[in-house]
Order: sequence, then structure tokens, then C-alpha cells
Amino acid sequence: MSLLRRPIVSILIFAVIYAAVSLSITNSYYQLIMTLVLVWAVFGLSWNLLSGYTGLISFGHAAFFGIGAYTTALGQIYFDLSPWLLIPIAAMLGGVAGLLVGFPTFRLQGHYFALAMLAYPLAILYVFEWLGFQEVTLPIKRDNPIAYMQFSDPRLYTLLALVMLIGTILLTRAVERSRFGMALLAIKQNQAAAEAAGIDTLAWKLRAISLSGAIAGAIGAFYAVVLLVVTPQSVFGMLVSAQALTVAMFGGVGTVWGPVIGSVILIPLAETLNAEAGTRFPGIQGVIFGIAIVCVILLAPEGLYWKVRDLWRRRQLSQPSSEPEDVPATATVTLLPVPMRRDQPFAQEDVILEVRNLSRSFGGLKAVQNVSFKLHRNEILGIIGPNGAGKTTLFNLLNGFLRPDGGEVLLEGRDVFARKPHELCEAGVARTFQIMRPFQRMSISDNVVVGAYVRSRTDTEARSLAADAIARVGLSSIADRIAGELSTKELRLMELARALAGQPKILLLDETLAGLGHDEADEVVAVIQRLTRDNMTVAIIEHTMQAMVRLVDNFLVLDHGAVLVEGKPETVTRDTRVIEAYLGKKWVAHAAH
Amino acid sequence: MLHIEGLSTGYSARPVLSGVSIHVEAGQFVAIVGPNGAGKTTLFKTISGILKPSKGTITFEGHDLLSTPPSRRPHLGIAHVPEGRQVFPSLTVMENLEMGAMTEAGRRDWKDNIERIFEWLPVLAERRAQFAGTLSGGQQQMLAIGRGLASSPKLLMLDEPSMGLAPTTADLIFDRLIEIRRQTKLTILLVEQRVAEALESADHGYVLEAGRVALEGDKQTLRADDRVRRAYLGM
Amino acid sequence: MSQFIESFLQAMTAGLLIGAVYGLMCVGLGLIFGVMRVINFAHGDFMMLGMYAAFYLFTLVGVQAFFGNTIGPFISILLAGPVLAVFGYAIHALLISRVSGTRTAALEGEGHYAQLILTLGIALILQNGGLIVFGSVLASIRTPLSSSAWELGPFFDISIFVNKARGIDAVVSFVTMILLTLLITRSRIGKSLRAAADNPTAATYMGIDVDRAHRIAFALGTGITAIAGGLLATNYPFHPFVGLDYVIVMYAGVVLGGMGSIIGAFWGGMTIGLVQQMSTIVLPTQLQNAAIFVVFLLIIFFRPQGFFGRMVERT
Repeated sequence: MSLLRRPIVSILIFAVIYAAVSLSITNSYYQLIMTLVLVWAVFGLSWNLLSGYTGLISFGHAAFFGIGAYTTALGQIYFDLSPWLLIPIAAMLGGVAGLLVGFPTFRLQGHYFALAMLAYPLAILYVFEWLGFQEVTLPIKRDNPIAYMQFSDPRLYTLLALVMLIGTILLTRAVERSRFGMALLAIKQNQAAAEAAGIDTLAWKLRAISLSGAIAGAIGAFYAVVLLVVTPQSVFGMLVSAQALTVAMFGGVGTVWGPVIGSVILIPLAETLNAEAGTRFPGIQGVIFGIAIVCVILLAPEGLYWKVRDLWRRRQLSQPSSEPEDVPATATVTLLPVPMRRDQPFAQEDVILEVRNLSRSFGGLKAVQNVSFKLHRNEILGIIGPNGAGKTTLFNLLNGFLRPDGGEVLLEGRDVFARKPHELCEAGVARTFQIMRPFQRMSISDNVVVGAYVRSRTDTEARSLAADAIARVGLSSIADRIAGELSTKELRLMELARALAGQPKILLLDETLAGLGHDEADEVVAVIQRLTRDNMTVAIIEHTMQAMVRLVDNFLVLDHGAVLVEGKPETVTRDTRVIEAYLGKKWVAHAAH
Repeated sequence: MLHIEGLSTGYSARPVLSGVSIHVEAGQFVAIVGPNGAGKTTLFKTISGILKPSKGTITFEGHDLLSTPPSRRPHLGIAHVPEGRQVFPSLTVMENLEMGAMTEAGRRDWKDNIERIFEWLPVLAERRAQFAGTLSGGQQQMLAIGRGLASSPKLLMLDEPSMGLAPTTADLIFDRLIEIRRQTKLTILLVEQRVAEALESADHGYVLEAGRVALEGDKQTLRADDRVRRAYLGM
Repeated sequence: MSQFIESFLQAMTAGLLIGAVYGLMCVGLGLIFGVMRVINFAHGDFMMLGMYAAFYLFTLVGVQAFFGNTIGPFISILLAGPVLAVFGYAIHALLISRVSGTRTAALEGEGHYAQLILTLGIALILQNGGLIVFGSVLASIRTPLSSSAWELGPFFDISIFVNKARGIDAVVSFVTMILLTLLITRSRIGKSLRAAADNPTAATYMGIDVDRAHRIAFALGTGITAIAGGLLATNYPFHPFVGLDYVIVMYAGVVLGGMGSIIGAFWGGMTIGLVQQMSTIVLPTQLQNAAIFVVFLLIIFFRPQGFFGRMVERT
């Protein structure tokens, strides 16, 4: 808890120092720089809120900034409204613009998203130029300046900007620590896995862009008030978008301090150079930003903040440990005796998942053909078959990544055919993935809590579900260790915990034992078996047969997309058809001699 | 010809191969079998240079392969027919074959090679102007083999040529391969999931399991050993 | 009525002429994206450098003195190509290769983000550095050909005027395009580039040095666009930020043509040129560029794979 308090204290300390420095500066040009540093910091933070956390790089944040700027300018000129009112209005318009932009554009993948975002502000720029708004000047209000946010003392602008910065930082931090921020980070790590964990990715992305747009709009409006002149190029131009991106990237992506650091370093540098050398070297500002971007992306791709923090951490770790006890690696997972496998057949009424004639083709290739099977409560079913048999495709069908062409899927009697991944997760189907992508810098608890959001309303509830899941896999003693320091076995168990945190009814485990040594695999097998004692059903795909034969109750053998045979391990591994599928017809023929 | 000694590879904390030693003499047909995840493709990728090992040596005709850059290795005489065919889909069949002949030996022997390739794999001659991406799986496999042969290799490495193909097509491919071997005495290193077919024509076989060589021997020895079945099925 | 038809045909002719140059410009970008899958934000600025290179070759290095005003500009434009190709090769080897190609093949998506940002940084340096080095005074490559035109017609009272300079520009574009296509489809280097684009892993198995292929593609793409830039420079004055004006045209053309298809990029650029010129019939000049954006966005949303794309899917 003391850790949580610290950032707010640092923010206040920063604010106080900054205010003190600014109050002592009398030169109006330097004062303007002080104000602009804060403006770009807020803009950078707004960019960060969308792009830093979700990983969807926006090259067009100038669109929101410019909309905000023109709202204030035109609102004051045509409707004689005060910026005190117009800034909140600009925020609203920015938010709406975010939604309008986000809704169609989020459907686009990778490059196309970036290109579309690039196009928006430039298109708006041309429209505004055509509309005749080449240069819009805010009218000077001599009789009631304060009501129109026109201060004679430029230091007041800096203070106002500082207030906006603090507000934005607090807002960002609140988002960061809440399920909003965690959902965004999960989307950045692995959107598919996030969907499978029950996160409605489109909804969260829209919230992010809308909030981001609102902040950008507000600060754009303020920018117009400070500079008193608005031109399309100065608020919609590519350099504007680039500036948001640069300060955030340079300072640190995905963290509150990043844009602040970036702005504090880069803006004064650029402005001073511009002032000193600007006449002899016009454009020196852009060159500096360009060099900053190139250096950052090559040397510290995630920004200064993370680079410094990682170096600091590494130094701390290489020093003698100050921890009271060193938790030995083997003691991280609490071992329980390996339970006996059940030999009784499962009761018919106990069917939790029924799959009938499930099919899926890709072009002419029948990846899954008329697959039917029943999964019973507390059963561990191993899905095996030679390469290309359709095992992963089957899982993708069961958890919603692929739409089946035909068949029926009944979960506890309810029809769940062709549902989306996060809907299936809600219904109780959880899945782990072969390639794990944890939040490297976050603790096990933080990594696992993402899986709990589907089942909890409040963050406290989510945390307790997560703690529960962590206990069930035996990682409680190291719940605070960060993912980057975990062994493969611990990572696999963490994946498992994340899936469990959503309180699923069925676990689809995709190569959970991959990359584990013999003993480690045994430990994980024990954990899985313990889970099924406790109201859980498991379907598992795995290539390490040695471990599988000891883990599963039954095997379902697939070959060329169809079910070959189903039954107990002893029977299935000696079944001629199965041997044929794996070793070839001629093997069986030869063995018969 | 090819000597692999104590090879270990892996991605960070996950060892995929541990201490694998495999020897292929000139003119031999060696088969490597084993279940999925045993490390067969990793082995080939290490020989070709796409992956770097953490330990061990690979020598090919006296050359230390590990100090040869990946794009130079084919020029030494190693042809790699990759898993999943990996043809160049937007190039024609003929252009694919030309790409195979980018090595010095390949360019030198092009005229003879292309004639023989068309003889062994007539479907390639028929469809020489067709885009490789529109070929069927079996045809693509033949193209990949032809492409490998076009480099005038000393060693032909085939990674799971039967994968994703219907059994009859796979059998056809194998027959072609055996025919080619008969005529050229080419050294072949084959990785296959279908054990029986692989061991059928092989002189020597290795069974990989969980990154190690679990068994080796000639086909008589291996066929009689139930440990092969257990390597695949666990019990 | 004939007045309308004349305007229409005139606009269409203008569109085709400028479209040919746009097409060449897009081909340069298409090459880079097609072979390397790199989005190069700095491409417009490489073009700008090409314009200035042609300009200085013409005025300072003596091409004008030697070849005169009629052929001179075109010689310097063609020379600017190789100059920029070398520059592009260097930029790739020093900077771009660190975030693309085989080095990042394992990084899975991380590489793309870095490429976008890096090329954005390069763009800023080139634009603003250009401002420092070249100044903000508008430059242009003058040729007397740009003030005279051939008259086609009159047919039924309708005449179409083809500006001589633009006419020659279009011819140069087409010829360059044909030479490039021959290079890509017939030569060994061209085929290796296509192979490296199709399947880098398999290309390595064939003994093709994929990183080198990327460098060559980048150099070639840069050089081609530089030539296109030079051709544009004979008609329009330019300045260090001119690249920004054409970035969207380039991307619209490449996306329209289907990312990855070089011939498609050419037709895509051609289409953009047509759209731009023909929109003057109905739209005021300032909105011409907005029209291109609208087209661009429509393509991205409704047909991102473009219209002239490859016949065959890539692995």
C-alpha cells in the first residue's frame, strides 16, 4: 500500500517544484515554453492512453487536438463563449470524434490502422483550409479578460496547464491501476488471448480512444487560448501528431511519467534551439525530434523511463539480496501427492459438454470433419493425433476463434454454437495458449487478475478471485514476483491460474507441458489432476505422450480431422488404427508377422 | 559426410535438442523419425542455419557449418526441402526451379539437371508456367524436391515430405524419391513421422524423442523394437 | 455541350499524364513494401531529395551547361535515380536493417511498430534538415517544354492539348516502368527479390542472402521514386516539405493497387492521378486532395486488398 501512495506524492512534489520554477521566471518567452512543455505533456499522455497501453499506434492524434483548438477559436469568435466553457465542450467533441474515428478504424489490422489514422487529420486539414480558416485569431477581450481566460500574467497559463496536467496524470493513473488499464494492456500483449479471457476488446478500445480524444481536445482548446492564433497546419499538421508520439515514446510508452519526461526534455531543447539557431537553421526543431525518435527506437524502444528502470533493477539484482529469505526454486510450487486415476466410467448424466458433428473446412481442406464426443464432469480428456489431425482447429472451434461450418455444441445443455470468444469465456470455457505472452514487468497477481474480470464486478472481487486461482496452482508464495523472472514451469502455472481466475467450467489446455523437463511436467500434471477433483473438467492437447498417459482419463484420437477412436489410454495406444495413423500402415503390417 | 556431435539447441529456457549426435556417410539414406515435438524440424533448421545451437558441432565434408553463414550453406552442397513445402507461391514452377539453381554447382549443371528433374517429376514439366501457389499439395511437394535437386546437391535433406498429404500421394512421393536415389546415388537425410515408410528404404534410422536420440539402428533392428511404438504413444 | 466534353477529355488526359508519374512514384514504395513489408514513412522525403538532387545536378554540376535546357532536365532526373539509390542503400544498411528483415523475423509484430516509428524519425530529419540545407525558397527545374503543348485534334471542334513536358514525363515513366518490370520478372536479381519477398525462409534455404535482397529492394525503390519526383519537379515547384503532399497519394496508390503488387502500384498511382484531375471538374482545387483522402479511406475500409493485387496469395 505504501507503494501506491508514492506516485501521488511524487506528482505533487513535481508540481510544486515546477510551479516554483515557473513563478520565478519573468521572461515571457521562457514562460511560454514552460506552458508549452505542459501542453505537450498532456497531449503525449492522451496519446499514451490509447497507443501506449493498447499498442495501436495512432499517427493522427492531431485530429482531436485540432478539433479542440478550432472549437475554442470558432466558439469564441462566432458565439462569444468563454474558453472556460469551451474547453469542456472541446473535450466532449474530442471524445465523440474518438468514437467516430475508432468504430470503423478498429476493424482494420496493423498497417491499415496506422495509415487510416494518418489520413484523418490531414483530410480535416484540407477541409479547413478550403473552408477559409487559414488563420483564425482569437479576439482580445479587454473589458473582461479573466472570464475569457486571457491573463496578463503569463505565469497563470502555466499554473492552469499544471492543473490540467495533474488532472490528466491522476486520471491516467486511475485508469492504469483499474481493470480499464489492465484490459488495455492485455489487448496489447495478445488480443486473441484477451478475447479468450472474456475481455470485450472492441468496447475497451473504444473507451480508450474516446477518453484519449477528449483529453487531446481539451488540451488543444487550451493551446489555442495560449497562442491566440490557430492555423490548420499548426494544429492538424503531421508534426503535431508526431510530437505527441515523440514525447511519449521518448519518455516512456505505457506509463504516466513517460510523456512528462519526454516533454520536459525535448520541448525546451527544441524551442531553445529554435530560438537560438532558428534563423540560421530553420527547422532545427524537427531535426531534433527526428534524431530523438531514431535514437530512442534503436537504443531504448520502449522509452527512457523503462530503460532506466530496467537498468536500475538489474543493478539492484546483481547486488547481494536484501530479502529476508531466498525462496528456493523447488519450493515455489506446493506439491501434493499424485492422486490415483479413476477407473470407473463416467455416468451418462454427467455430461458437461456435448459436441455433435462439428465441422470446419478451409477451402477444400476438411480440417475438422463430423467430430462428435462427450466431455463428462471432472473428466480429463486428452486429444491426440498425428500432425495436422485437426487438434488445434478443434480447440479454436470450441473457444470461438473459428466459426464452425456445421454441427452442434451444447454446454450443460445450452446451445453455444458459433459464439464469440469472450461470450464462451463468460459461459465457462477457458483456454490456455501454447505461446505465452505474459506482462513481463508485472507480478503474477497482476497477470492473473486479467482473467478474473469476466467473473467479477469490482476490482476487489477480481483480486480475490485471482488470489484464489493462484493458490489453486500453488504459486501463492511467489505471487509478487514479476513474470520476467519466472521459470517456464512457473509461467505455465501462471497461465493456468489466469484461466482459472474466471471460474470456468471447462479448461482447454493447449500444450501446457511444452518445454518442461520430466519432473516439472509431473508437477504440473499433479496440479491439473488436483483441479479436476475440485469441480473442473479438462480437455488437453499435448505432444509429450509420456506425461499424457498418466494424466488423462480418456483419449480422443483424431486423424485427418475425423475421430478415429475414443477410449482409455491402455486400449487406445495399442489400437491398430491408432498405431497405423502414427507409424504408418506398413508398420502394422510388419508387426503382424 | 555430415557429422553432428552433441548438438543442443533451444529457445532461452526451453531445450529442444539435447546432446544429439547423428552421422550420415556419403551415399547413405538416413531416416530420422520420432513423435511431434521431438525436435526433428529444429534439427534441420539448425543444420540450415536458421537456428543457432547452444552446444555441439556440425561438420559437412570437413567444413564447420556453424561458422558458415546460412545463405552460404546451400553452396556447400546441402539442399533443404523444408517442412510444409515452402514454395514461392507467386513465382512459376520454372522460376521456383531456377531459384533452386542459385548455387554455383546448380548453375553449372542446370541444363542436365532440368532435363532429369522433368524426367523424374513429369508433372513439373507439364505445369512449368503455372504459379506455384496454385498447385496441389502433392505437386508442391514434388516442386520442392525438384527445387532441391536443381542445386546439384551432395546432400538432400527432406523435412516431413508426407505431411498434410493424402497417404496415396505421400506414397507416390516416396516412390519418386527412391527412384531418384537409385539413379543418382544421392545422399539423403529424411525426417518423417510415418516410421514404416521412412525406414523402408533407409539404410540407417534414428528415433528422436524429447530432443534426444532414443534409439538407432538399421531397419531390421528398429522394426522389431516396441520402444519405437512407445516413443510415439507413451505406453 | 462540346465545352463539357472538351473539359472532360482534357481533365482525363491531364489525369493520365500525371497518373503515369504518380504510378512510378507508387511503384517505388510498392517495391519496398512488397519485398520487405516495411512501411516507409520517409518515402515522400526521399522523393524530395530526388527532386533536389536532380535540381543540383542540373544547375550546379553542369548538366544544364552541357545538355541544355530541353534534354538537360531529363538527364539530371535520370541521374538522380542512382544517386538516391545509393543513399537509400546506405540508410537501409545503417538504420532500417536494424528493425526489419531476418533480425526481427522472430519478434512477431514488434518489428512493424519499430519500422513505422524509425521511418517517421527519418522523415522528420530529412524534411527539416532539408529546410536547413536547401532553404524554403521554392525551386523548380525549368524546361521550355513545360510551356508548350501538342495539340491533338481538332476533332469535331474539340482539341486536346498535351503539355510537352508532361507528355515526356509520362513517356519516361512508362519506359522506366517497363524496364523495371523486365528487371523484376526476367533477371536473376529480380527473381531473387521476388523469392525473398514471397518466402524469406525458403529463400535462405536456396542460398539467397535475404538481407542483401532487402537492401537492393530498398535502394531500387528509393531510386525509382526519386526519378518520379524529378519528373514532377519539371511541372511543379517544390520545397523541403513537398514529401508530405505526396505521402497520401503514394499510399493511396499502393493500397489501391494491392500491397505487394508492383504493377498494381503503378495502376493504383495512375488511378489516383485520374481521380485528382477529374475531380477538378466538380470540386474546387483545395478539395482535390481531400478527394484523394476520401478515396483512400474508402479503399482501406471496403477493399484493403486493392484491385490489381497479386493473382496468388503469399505465404
